[in-house]
Amino acid sequence: MKKKLVSVLVAGAMLAAMLTGCGGGSGTQAPAADNGGAETEAPAADGASGEETLTVWCWDPAFNLNAMYEAEKVYQKDHPNFKLNVVETPWEDIQTKVTTAATSGDLSTLPDIFLMQDNAFQKNVISFPSVCMDLTNSGIDFSQFAAGKTAYSVIDGKNYGVPFDNGAVVACYRTDYLEQAGLTIDDFTDITFDQYIENGKKVLEATGKPLISMQAGECDLIMMMMQSAGSSLFNEDGSANIVDNDTLKIVMETYKQLKDSGVLIEVNSWDEYVGSLVSGDVAGTINGCWIMASIQTAEDQSGKWALTNMPSLVGASNATNYSNNGGSSWAVTTNCKNQALATDFLASTFAGSTELYDNILASGALATWAPAGDSTAYATPNEFFGGDAVSAKIVEFSTKVPSNITGVYYYEGRDAVATAITNYINGSDIETEMKTAADTVNFNMGK
Amino acid sequence: MGKPKKMTLSRKHNFTGWVFLAPGAFLIFVMSFVPMVRALLLSFKTGVGADMKPCGIMNYTRMFQDAVFVQSIKNTFFYLIIQVPIMLIFALILASILNNKNLRFKGLFRTMIFLPCATSLVAYAVIFRSLFANNGIINLLLVNIGILDQPYSFLTHTWSARIVIIIALLWRWTGYNMVFYLSGLQNIEYSVYEAAKIDGASAVQTFFKITIPLLKPTILLTAIMSTNGTLQLFDESVNLTDGGPANASITMSHYIYNMSFKYVPNFGYAAAMSFLILVLVAVLAFLQMKVGDKRD
Amino acid sequence: MTKGKKFGMYLFLCIVSFISVFPLYWMVSAATNKSAEVVAGRLIPGGYFFENLKNLLANQNVGRALGNSFKYAIILTIISLIVSSLAGYGFEIYHDKAKDTVMSIILLAMMVPFVATMIPLFQMFSTAGWLNTTIGFILPTVSTPFLIMMFRQSARSFPHDIMEAARIDGLSEIRIFFQMFIPTMRSTYAAAMTITFMNAWNSYLWPKVIMTDSTSQTMPMVVANLTQGYVTDYGMLMLAVLICTLPTAIVFFCLQNAFAEGITGAVK
Repeated sequence: MKKKLVSVLVAGAMLAAMLTGCGGGSGTQAPAADNGGAETEAPAADGASGEETLTVWCWDPAFNLNAMYEAEKVYQKDHPNFKLNVVETPWEDIQTKVTTAATSGDLSTLPDIFLMQDNAFQKNVISFPSVCMDLTNSGIDFSQFAAGKTAYSVIDGKNYGVPFDNGAVVACYRTDYLEQAGLTIDDFTDITFDQYIENGKKVLEATGKPLISMQAGECDLIMMMMQSAGSSLFNEDGSANIVDNDTLKIVMETYKQLKDSGVLIEVNSWDEYVGSLVSGDVAGTINGCWIMASIQTAEDQSGKWALTNMPSLVGASNATNYSNNGGSSWAVTTNCKNQALATDFLASTFAGSTELYDNILASGALATWAPAGDSTAYATPNEFFGGDAVSAKIVEFSTKVPSNITGVYYYEGRDAVATAITNYINGSDIETEMKTAADTVNFNMGK
Repeated sequence: MGKPKKMTLSRKHNFTGWVFLAPGAFLIFVMSFVPMVRALLLSFKTGVGADMKPCGIMNYTRMFQDAVFVQSIKNTFFYLIIQVPIMLIFALILASILNNKNLRFKGLFRTMIFLPCATSLVAYAVIFRSLFANNGIINLLLVNIGILDQPYSFLTHTWSARIVIIIALLWRWTGYNMVFYLSGLQNIEYSVYEAAKIDGASAVQTFFKITIPLLKPTILLTAIMSTNGTLQLFDESVNLTDGGPANASITMSHYIYNMSFKYVPNFGYAAAMSFLILVLVAVLAFLQMKVGDKRD
Repeated sequence: MTKGKKFGMYLFLCIVSFISVFPLYWMVSAATNKSAEVVAGRLIPGGYFFENLKNLLANQNVGRALGNSFKYAIILTIISLIVSSLAGYGFEIYHDKAKDTVMSIILLAMMVPFVATMIPLFQMFSTAGWLNTTIGFILPTVSTPFLIMMFRQSARSFPHDIMEAARIDGLSEIRIFFQMFIPTMRSTYAAAMTITFMNAWNSYLWPKVIMTDSTSQTMPMVVANLTQGYVTDYGMLMLAVLICTLPTAIVFFCLQNAFAEGITGAVK
């Protein structure tokens, strides 16, 4: 009897030992493995001890990571000991990590610098005031950036981000399709949406192709149209500006007209949207200038595309032909042990080096930093877009983009309006839907 | 001999049982229940980001006034009611066919039917979106057969979007559940089937009279797991339809995620909604256990 | 079985298998095509496979990610199977009212969405200093209610007379578990191993929160990285996804005979 009891106890103890043994084993083994595999990467926390290493989180190797590596090269010329540890991290994951770290009060996992979507800046700085460093007096000259761009990362008059990539809106068209309808790119330059729809109908008749495709349920185009008239879903004081927002109403009506006339076709997903561009199912698109990179993957269409500004809203006050969609800016975290180095690095590269912007131009990264646009590299013609100097053109567009209020509750507002527009297209009353959208946003704001 | 010894023996066995389950139970206690209690405390607070203040049961009353969340509850239950029974029955049928000893290529068939759940989420999402695209293969097929005049935009219409999600779930998880039935079937003596055959029982009779009763513990397991999985459904809603059109296909977990990471974070509210899921799953699981967890 | 019935059964299996495999065929063929062809809906395999492979290897550290994924998945699967099967066995073989109640309570642990418990868990792990460690990666999922319940349910069919006989022979309880239960329950272990490996291999959200170094990136993270750019290279993406899918598929294929032809299959 006793013997059995003992054996059971021993077995239990053995198990416990095995468990903790395994746990301890892997616990001690892991850091060792990390050091072994660290090669050139030093842990972020060690940045202070005379070493000039900064850890950076960003996504998209061809674009953002490439830009960071080029910036490292530029900065290394004067600072030979300088090193970057760039960790490729998708935006959603950066957001998850920042939220988790800030909420649990342990910021030590955060890098020195990370890239943030412009639309998320207000939300993150207000929700987690302890995460981002105030860069206002850090020696970075923010006045040289396009005003509409810088506004995204300014909260209460303080600068929290160094603007990076350009999201100026461009309208791209297949000139071969336009030609079949007897039109040229000039017929689409500096026009209104009324003219756009008229032209679109001609193109549709001649070629059977819609002028533009958009992802259903995503309100990219809606937000671009809103900003083109300097309007937003929020007021200066943060309250929702949806119910009596005349611009929003015009935008929604215009969108419905586009859809009803067949000039705009809605597709199911982003993949399908890109597919419609590269396979020639549509005659053009309107989006942030970064969309050009996707269009250019269709190598066989080189020379058949042209680029101009977007149509303007009819009846809206302050309507322009310029807007912005997407883009991101660099933020410095409070976890950064060597903030002087981080700000100096950003000041001498993204906010101070035409060389950097020249080097990353090939990857499609366009500056929002005005001096870069004067560089000769920007005047180089682009064969894909009919030999036009598109880079210089886009930098010019970006200086004309009206700034608007992003709003802390940007994503809530955006989703509510997306719901409203979907229902409106399917026959609901516009006033009711705008009211519902406003209620949803107010509910989320706790009102 | 007699009574006293039996008492000590059963007490000893009782103790042995606790020793066996201690490590597993302890880990679950620390890794799940401790964070759950913290989340529960959080659900009685409100605020933005890390700045939280007590608010009583406000979060719990709030969620029933939240039109989007109420919509998400309806959607989730729709998936649960339609998809789970179809999937489990289908998995049972496949498992009993593939358990047949004389079947050729059964290893190949099993692997092919299991493969969908091994596929990583990204591929699965891209593939399904492309299958149901306007110029996708499903539309191509339906137009060519003559069922449709022109391509139908499946993911942008309320009901078709929900049905695509159900089809995707069936595709992905039927093979997964089949695995448990196949492994459960091995614990049934094959002679039982032989005897039934000799007695002249048809395949259908064998299925209902032998397979289902003997697989009952496994069926209970899969029913509880699928109920839990469906009420916490997230991947399909995010990756196939992004909750659209107009929140017609959004699930509870998707909305909770948005509330935590996409929108201005409100963790108290997110935690409260999470506990509603706990209550819903617990009630359903309890009912299932009542019906199915009897030792004969 | 009549010939017609047999034919019907095979036909049914072929249709089901075709539907299951078709999207995967699509994935394989996409991995051999150019990105622009993939989004345009091309379904036939092309000649771009090596180009995609070259791009993928230049773009991402696939070797390191595969190594990490295997390391975490294997460690997690082994520990998880031991801990969970012991617990499931304990719950069923020695069952009484108290243990049944504890089992029901344990089930509650899986009913709260992970999003809600993630932040408290992160807090605990950061206090314990387990960020960026293997133990931090695996510990939350070592013991799962699901596996415990799975072993509990299958232990129900473990013959009690064999146990009694073993006890009379003087075998200790732990030896009954290791020498009799594990071999008898081969099919359950094989099924559990497949599922655990798959879940560990595909796990994403928690690893992403707890691992912040590029040295600890896993295969699903590589795939996620590829979907993030302004331009998605679908050919390259599908190749990465294919590489990410193969290990689980191979594990399944190797183990399916073990769990689908367990004990009775061996006794012909």
